[in-house]
Amino acid sequence: MGDAQPLLQVKDVSKSYFDNGKEFKILDRIRFELAEHDFVCVVGPSGCGKSTLLRIIVGLDTPTSGEVLFEGHPIRADNPQVAMVFQSFALFPWLTVAQNVELGLEALHEDPAKRRAVAKKFIDAVGLTGFENAYPRELSGGMKQRVGIARALAIEPLLLCMDEPFSSLDALTAQNLRDEILQLWSNPDLPPEAVLMVTHSIEEAVYLADRVIVLSSRPGRMVAELEIDLPRPRNRKDPEFYGWVDEIYSLIV
Amino acid sequence: MSNIGDGVGRETPVTDFRSMSKVSVGQILGLVEAVDEVGGVADAATIAREVDMDIDRLGPILGAAEFLGLVTVEDGDIRITDLSRKLLMASVRERKKIIREIIDDLPTFRLVMDMARNAGTPLGRQEVVQALADRVGSHQAEDVFKALVYWGRYAELVRYDSESEQLTVRVAPT
Ligand SMILES: Nc1ncnc2c1ncn2[C@@H]1O[C@H](COP(=O)(O)OP(=O)(O)OP(=O)(O)O)[C@@H](O)[C@H]1O
Ligand SMILES: [Mg+2]
Repeated sequence: MGDAQPLLQVKDVSKSYFDNGKEFKILDRIRFELAEHDFVCVVGPSGCGKSTLLRIIVGLDTPTSGEVLFEGHPIRADNPQVAMVFQSFALFPWLTVAQNVELGLEALHEDPAKRRAVAKKFIDAVGLTGFENAYPRELSGGMKQRVGIARALAIEPLLLCMDEPFSSLDALTAQNLRDEILQLWSNPDLPPEAVLMVTHSIEEAVYLADRVIVLSSRPGRMVAELEIDLPRPRNRKDPEFYGWVDEIYSLIV
Repeated sequence: MSNIGDGVGRETPVTDFRSMSKVSVGQILGLVEAVDEVGGVADAATIAREVDMDIDRLGPILGAAEFLGLVTVEDGDIRITDLSRKLLMASVRERKKIIREIIDDLPTFRLVMDMARNAGTPLGRQEVVQALADRVGSHQAEDVFKALVYWGRYAELVRYDSESEQLTVRVAPT
């Protein structure tokens, strides 16, 4: 990491829930940075606080202690430089693909023609041209998630955050979307500049990330931060690939 | 694409087209990649296990990939083709273009495209399903129509409005 200011700084973020005065610690002093061009994955067992961490990072939740800085300033939920993709797609069933993508743009562009043009560009970037007037019910799971990705990208964020975006898709569809996310990330003409993704799949993290942050189970603590220096495109059958998967596996179990 | 070119043993292309109503382009690309990663050849049972799909689910994906000329299947071995290697290297846009060229050549697709062009006005869903039924039987026509809309939209060859149930030919994308 050069002298440039990191895009994102997660500084000793802890989170607890309190029930009848009793403290339940969910996250314990999470600390890492993310720079432009990074692809970082956070992996950890179910319930270790991955979603909570991501919600705090995008400003949808507040830490009990610690702070999150984006470009040096405390994160705010309405920051258009950060976009989020959810596992559940979160599409409006009564809106078409184009309308679902345009929806998030109302706060950014007053001109409806501009909104339409921006939506069109990102619908195309995710391979959905031709489905503009389709409703979510007409789409496969993979296509639905493309809409979610197009909608997130349409605000032209620097940082794209994703919470298990492929975990409800079949293995073939998921792999295809992973490749397409890598294409978008490595395309300098399109957002995002950086990706932060949460997953419980170690294999997925090793396939995608150049850095993997490993969390322990409850409370979520950082067990390791690993640079995955495998060349791309990566092959999931490569022995070196498997070496990384095994190493992370042994850290979690 | 020799498996399509020679045409022998391929008397039922319409049935194969129907299998395409059950699969998505993402699944086909995912399959091609999975086979590529193990060196370009794999037996179907191994792939089924790896992607955690039983043969009922993998079957139509394999069938559609074979129909499109992206894999050959022989004695349970799946082998990727040069065309699918090209597809794997391609960008999202280029992939669409490659698949558009394949789709545009399929006889069932041609039938409907010609119908739409000759009509000069949008075609109603019922009209198309009827024409397909004459060719493939009424029990298959709905599935073939569904495949036609999905792949036609993906390839940017047709426009379909599910509210008005109208199908139109798109101006050829460049
Ligand atoms: N509002 C809340 N009040 C109390 N506990 C909560 C609340 N939200 C989350 N938790 C608890 O915090 C823990 C972490 O939840 P979180 O959803 O962040 O984990 P996760 O790693 O994303 O899990 P999963 O793998 O299931 O997605 C869980 O044990 C959950 O029950
Ligand atoms: Mg979660």
